[in-house]
Amino acid sequence: MTAHLSPSGIAGRFKAHFDLNNQEFSIAGSVRPQTIDELAPSLALLKESIESVRGVLYVNVRRLAQMNNTAFHAFARVIIDACRVRPDLRFVVVTSSVVGWTTRKFGRLSKIEPGITVEEYDSEFYPGQSFLEEGGFIPILRTQTKMTWRHERSILPRHGMRPGIVMADICCGIGDFAVLAQKEFEPSRIVALDHSKSSLAYARKVASEFDITGIEYTYGDASEMLLDDDQFDLVTCRHSLQIFNRPAQILKELFRICKPGGRVYITNEKNSHCLGEPRAESIRWTYNEVAKLFEHFDMDVELGPKSRRYLADAGFDDIRVESFMVTNLDGDPKDFADMIAAWEEVYAGDMAAKRGDSGEFIKQFRQGFKDHISAALHPKGYAGWPIWAASGQKPL
Amino acid sequence: MPTKDANAEPSFRTMIQVDMEIASFLSNWAHCDYISSYLARTISHNRPDSVLFSNLFSSALNELLEVTFRTRHSGGALECRLSRLGETDRIELTFACSREEHTFLEAAVARVQGADRQARYLSSLSGDVAPSRDMMLLELTVNYNATLRLEEVDDDMVKIVVDLPLGGLAN
Repeated sequence: MTAHLSPSGIAGRFKAHFDLNNQEFSIAGSVRPQTIDELAPSLALLKESIESVRGVLYVNVRRLAQMNNTAFHAFARVIIDACRVRPDLRFVVVTSSVVGWTTRKFGRLSKIEPGITVEEYDSEFYPGQSFLEEGGFIPILRTQTKMTWRHERSILPRHGMRPGIVMADICCGIGDFAVLAQKEFEPSRIVALDHSKSSLAYARKVASEFDITGIEYTYGDASEMLLDDDQFDLVTCRHSLQIFNRPAQILKELFRICKPGGRVYITNEKNSHCLGEPRAESIRWTYNEVAKLFEHFDMDVELGPKSRRYLADAGFDDIRVESFMVTNLDGDPKDFADMIAAWEEVYAGDMAAKRGDSGEFIKQFRQGFKDHISAALHPKGYAGWPIWAASGQKPL
Repeated sequence: MPTKDANAEPSFRTMIQVDMEIASFLSNWAHCDYISSYLARTISHNRPDSVLFSNLFSSALNELLEVTFRTRHSGGALECRLSRLGETDRIELTFACSREEHTFLEAAVARVQGADRQARYLSSLSGDVAPSRDMMLLELTVNYNATLRLEEVDDDMVKIVVDLPLGGLAN
């Protein structure tokens, strides 16, 4: 594997890299040189990459935010020339719709040389999460936010939330937290980002119907955002690190976009600690199994108490951690019961089926959810869902 | 009673304008990047996907500024004004240039309106020579659906007017 860091300076805020194992040349960042001489090392790396592969070379431009025509022409020239002298070689340019221009512009090259094709990569950012992002889950996400907000509205000021700040809500989902935060705390600007187009469409529809302005809903991958460095006073990322397979990578990005002195606020669960009375044992068994089920799909819904370690490892100072319990006594117990019913549907339905669980296991698995619902609705019952809220300050 | 001219162009609302001496602008290539990034971000906030819009607008504006940078100037100031009407954002770049440059820009802008623009763009991409200013302007119409025109402000001043219909884009 060889890697190349571009020269410093405004025209050189990019990185070119070749991965021989994956036969992938990637270029990321902003490439706006005055002359092609400034690109000489990267162009040489592309030529070396072409010489060292067989069959196909992937050209990854998913995180190529900017490239002026001077640079585009230079890289395109190398690829077009290679197509002509190496008819055995195919080029697959991998783009992302996040950036906006690459699919169309690189797509032009396939009209010149059929050996060049363009593939837009987006929907497969986080395939494991598709269980949680289908349309049917949206109503329950609203209910969840309503229940957690009762607690978070008093917790957030201890983690950097205050009027007038510039904030980002990363992995904003259907955008309801951003709306609540705007109404309650009046930040001067909110950027709300998510990788689910259907969730963002829902968020924009709600904002339009309710005449909500001032929230910028934007599409992107939380692990490689187009947002600039050091922009936000507060970056929130709720219930999300636990369902990414690379939580440390996401945290690194949250750190990057946070202003020095600003804070990053995260919430996560420890699902095995969901509880209820009566029928505590059945409930406990099922939620232990929930944790294992998510682990099977590379998601850690036990992450909550690990927040302190994650924040420390990411370089944050002044780390604050607290926990709260959403219960059936917060508002309408029916809301709590509806939430558990939705969990049962997804976890004991789609996810367990996908893992290949037996009918006998699924029956017992479902029973714990049913008992949790009973506990929530029982006149003397108690049902809880614990959450860890944590934040760290980016050093000045 | 005043009558409304049915052919009058709808009015674009000015959002921001940057003026600088041409000599200062030309002192550093990175000014193209700085100005395009700053202005794009500044006008992006109320677009459906602000980050996507900002990135696309910055790309287009940067190319225009690079064309301006490569134009032979005769001193004076560079004026960059951004205005908006609905989903269209207008860039107006006004600067002094020689008669020869004026003629070149006039011809280049006329060429990018041609029906064969896509074929000419592909041909320029597959050519050996580095991209010309023609090609940079052509690319704006082919890849950004921009419309371009040139206005003469006075004898030695030109104004490039580019309309970019990027406002409604969202993922």
